[in-house]
Amino acid sequence: MGDRLVVSETAGTAQESGVPHVPGGRLRRRGVGILFVLPAALTLLAITIFPLIYELRLVFMSWELTTNAAPEFVGLQNLITVLFKDERFWTSMRVTATLIVLGVAIQLTLGTGLALLLNRLGRWRTGLVSLFLIPVMIAPVVAGFQFRMIYHDQFGPLNYLIEQVTFGRWHGLAWIANPKVALFSILMTDVWQWTPFLMLIVLAGLQSVPQELHEAAEVDGASPWQTFWRITLPLLLPVIIIGILIRAMDSFKLFDIIYLVTGGGPGNVTETISFYTYLQGFKFFSLGYTAAMAFIQLIVITVIAQVFLRFQKRGRGEI
Amino acid sequence: MRRMSSFQKILTVVVLVAALIFFMFPVVWMFLTSFKTEAEYFSYPPVFIPEDFSFRNYFNAMAFPPDGRGGLQGLRDSLIIASATTVVSVLIGSLAAYGLSRFRTGGENFSFWILSTRMFPPVAAALPLFLIFKEIKLLDSHLALIIANTVFSLPFVIWLLKGFFDELPLELEEAALIDGCSYWGAFARVSLPLVTPGLVATALFSFIFAWNEFMFALLLTRRNVRTLTIIVPSLVGGHEILWGEIAAIGTVAIIPGILLALLLQRYLVRGLTMGAVKG
Repeated sequence: MGDRLVVSETAGTAQESGVPHVPGGRLRRRGVGILFVLPAALTLLAITIFPLIYELRLVFMSWELTTNAAPEFVGLQNLITVLFKDERFWTSMRVTATLIVLGVAIQLTLGTGLALLLNRLGRWRTGLVSLFLIPVMIAPVVAGFQFRMIYHDQFGPLNYLIEQVTFGRWHGLAWIANPKVALFSILMTDVWQWTPFLMLIVLAGLQSVPQELHEAAEVDGASPWQTFWRITLPLLLPVIIIGILIRAMDSFKLFDIIYLVTGGGPGNVTETISFYTYLQGFKFFSLGYTAAMAFIQLIVITVIAQVFLRFQKRGRGEI
Repeated sequence: MRRMSSFQKILTVVVLVAALIFFMFPVVWMFLTSFKTEAEYFSYPPVFIPEDFSFRNYFNAMAFPPDGRGGLQGLRDSLIIASATTVVSVLIGSLAAYGLSRFRTGGENFSFWILSTRMFPPVAAALPLFLIFKEIKLLDSHLALIIANTVFSLPFVIWLLKGFFDELPLELEEAALIDGCSYWGAFARVSLPLVTPGLVATALFSFIFAWNEFMFALLLTRRNVRTLTIIVPSLVGGHEILWGEIAAIGTVAIIPGILLALLLQRYLVRGLTMGAVKG
């Protein structure tokens, strides 16, 4: 990590003066640019736009693979059912929102705390950061499996630990089967996996805060607490917001951990929107209905992504 | 900087050690479980350190399940899919990244469109891909997963590499062009070699994302293709959970991720934020 942190701007600074200057003129340069971009553009067109159009068509159809009925045009029926009649859809939205809000809040708090500690460390920092980052880099399904073992009510180390520290007075919980705590268990798995990500981002931000500012504040008699809230935090805000938005978009798609740890259960207390969509499409085979739900999610993600892009655009310059 | 009192120092160390245990424990627990016998992992109080570190779970897992399509096949399929996805994305993506960086083809909106495809919910992309692949008889093939993974890998590669190209000074390419180099030559002989570290980092990230991918592997394959991420939950399913074998497969599956976390230090911030934050 360098000493400088730049929240990147969309168009690189170098380009302001333009493209390399050569004979051939503007037209040719544009032509060359298109040649460079064309293969990727065509590929993306084929593998994203085309499937999306295909899916958009499905939104207006009723197509149940479980019956032999041919697909049939039903207009806005699917969207209306999802939005106004399907309670399970809204339950899954609520579960997802809970996981996003609580998850990001906990991850940000813990991550910031750790980053502040790590920032004061000397030569141990690099190594520790690498070790902390391991959860981020491993497959979520494997993380899910790890926690399934840890949460096991009979043989899991978590209940054993609880029993030891309470001197056998409390035997722990059925972390996965108990509907009151299952969502919490999912939340903790997500916290385990993604706290280091926010820690990393905040740490990168901290290292870009000029040391002189802190010294000046200290000379002026500010307490560490004041320095943090008045100087450090405001300077970190752009980075933190980007971190929050990335996490929000990812949590909105939470699926792997759910699939492995709880399977949406017990009942549907841990059923996220991604998981419910998966069930509709690949267990109940209601294709039109699934497409409708998929598009609603696409719209939500697009809104968050737009905010993210605005921030990237606006947050130019150095902090 | 403010000097830390010895109390603060101790507190810092205690908290960091606690955090280290918290973040490492699940991984270490799985690693230890991969060496345990059934009697050891189904025991109470739990056995922490297995009696002997034999590789029997690894051998079983690689041949498991008994129909001959075991962990070894998973390893092969994961390798094929993740490598091919990476090669395709980096080949096409580096060209596009250069085009976007140097010629600003399509302007800002085009770049943003590319970035936004990365943010799709995979479940929204899975349904149409499933139906299309079914139509053209591509389900349950390596190619299907390579295509599906490219949906997310390509925008990632383009966006990250564009950041690396943006940082190169223009003068070198200008000099090359004036000396009679073609645009292609300026790209291939001047710019590309200069972004090699970025290129390698990007490729490794792309590899690990495809390697860890689960939903497409679950929905677009049946029996012929089984990635490591598919084998883990498929073994968890039954009433008898083969923890030792799954832990062995899980341990194999996370090795690339761990190596990357250690190797890519410098690029982690960038890679994980798609270049939005440059550490």
